[in-house]
Amino acid sequence: MIEYDSANRPPAVIDEFIQLIHYRDLIFLMVGNILKNRYKRSVLGIFWMLLNPLLQTVVLTIAFGTMFKSSLPNYAVYLLSGLLAWNFITQTTQYAMGAMAYGGGLLKRIYIPRATYIVAAVGNGLINLLVSIGSLVIIILFLAHPITVAWLFLPVSILILTIFSLGLALLLSTASVFFTDTVDIYQVLVQALFFLTPIMYPASILPAELSQVLALNPFVILIEIFRIPIYTNHFPDFNLVISAISLALITLVAGWILFTSKADQLAYRL
Amino acid sequence: MNNIAIQLDNVTVRFRIPHEKIPTLQEYAIRWLKRRSVSFTDFNALDNISFSIKQGETVGIIGANGAGKSTLLKVISRVIRPTQGRVFLRGRIAPLLELGAGFDYEMTGRENIFLNGAVLGFSRKEMAARLDGIVEFSGIGNFIDAPIRTYSSGMVARLGFAVATDIQPEVLIIDEILSVGDADFQKKSAARILEYYNNGSTILVVSHNPNSIKQLCTYAIWLEHGIIKMMGSVDDVINNYSLSLV
Ligand SMILES: Nc1ncnc2c1ncn2[C@@H]1O[C@H](COP(=O)(O)OP(=O)(O)OP(=O)(O)O)[C@@H](O)[C@H]1O
Ligand SMILES: [Mg+2]
Repeated sequence: MIEYDSANRPPAVIDEFIQLIHYRDLIFLMVGNILKNRYKRSVLGIFWMLLNPLLQTVVLTIAFGTMFKSSLPNYAVYLLSGLLAWNFITQTTQYAMGAMAYGGGLLKRIYIPRATYIVAAVGNGLINLLVSIGSLVIIILFLAHPITVAWLFLPVSILILTIFSLGLALLLSTASVFFTDTVDIYQVLVQALFFLTPIMYPASILPAELSQVLALNPFVILIEIFRIPIYTNHFPDFNLVISAISLALITLVAGWILFTSKADQLAYRL
Repeated sequence: MNNIAIQLDNVTVRFRIPHEKIPTLQEYAIRWLKRRSVSFTDFNALDNISFSIKQGETVGIIGANGAGKSTLLKVISRVIRPTQGRVFLRGRIAPLLELGAGFDYEMTGRENIFLNGAVLGFSRKEMAARLDGIVEFSGIGNFIDAPIRTYSSGMVARLGFAVATDIQPEVLIIDEILSVGDADFQKKSAARILEYYNNGSTILVVSHNPNSIKQLCTYAIWLEHGIIKMMGSVDDVINNYSLSLV
């Protein structure tokens, strides 16, 4: 028979994981429902998901494409591949914080694993990313940009991005429950970082001193790991892969430890 | 003691109520710069509560608004962890704290059966097997494929009750939900609770209606300001509680 003993349970880091596995169908349903709700009312349905990045790319390419014509041939491919990685990380984390702060009322009313919303938010972001890669392929075919064996590295890139985003989402969601302005502060930081990350422009236009500082921007590594196989058509070099994997794993471990150690307080705080 | 269903040892649930509103990072920074700390009041919604309930017993919980009844049920159904003390529970629990927790009002009744089932910890497969029985019991009829925002509140409650009580739990926890729904639903839900009682479920009920507690329960707990004011046979406790109100 099932037993619950509040004084005698596995350590929080393990307990939360076991519970998430047990409630996996809830996570799948939540991801499905987010998608359904978002696109039910729109006539274009899933095509809107394809169209949105296409429109974004067309507009930005018209605005900046000619400026970087020589340094970045097929600018639209460079732009969109960077943008997809960027949007995945930032939108996923923002969505997770929102779901925790506003949708987390459920956590005070019934027991579900505390990380459910966050994992569902990452799952939702992952689906958006995969669909958006469809738009990227459309642009690539249109511009006759080569698709090479380097694409075989993409699943690894996506896995790294997912691990990092989950970790960051856990860190930020915990913070947002304790400090309600975390969401706003993060929003401002994200906007600033967007211009400090070579997504719309090539890294080469930055002055030497600044590119040293840029090396400290963790987003650069993550964008590169995703963009290189698509835009430059070769496998990312070994050092880059190692730094990206380390960054992602450290973020996830830190996020998981922080989140699970505070999880019991969430129902008191939300 | 092998037939214990629920046991609480010195359970305290403490809420920390900040004197100033919204905790923001900005606020904290300002305070830190001014070398002032944030002040709190600690408030015990449950204060050193101990009791145990045997398998198959039915216990009513009474007390004024804010006495800690809902908090007690939440700590038992692991929604909140005790700040201090130990909660022990044996068996699967069906918490009827709020019917239809996690319902998504844009989704149909059918979709919500799966969603609510998942919230209660059941797999999709289990829910698929039980779908027909749940629809049948809920009496929602053709509306089952309409979004539940088109339901009346009684219909939402029926659906929530049908999902949560579809299979017999070892422990059933009820927080003032017996009064929702029409006469037909009340009869149906009471019949189902009675059936589970006869089959040996342990039942814990919060209600402001002394009669419904007397009908269902053999024991009662009277809570006041987070402590147990009285505990014993249902008649004794209810009589004393009623006397205290006049
Ligand atoms: N999240 C919370 N933060 C701070 N205080 C809380 C919180 N939840 C409950 N309380 C306080 O705990 C006390 C007990 O609340 P509880 O909901 O258990 O009362 P109750 O006995 O169920 O009352 P009612 O009859 O109105 O349902 C109340 O004073 C309430 O203000
Ligand atoms: Mg209550």
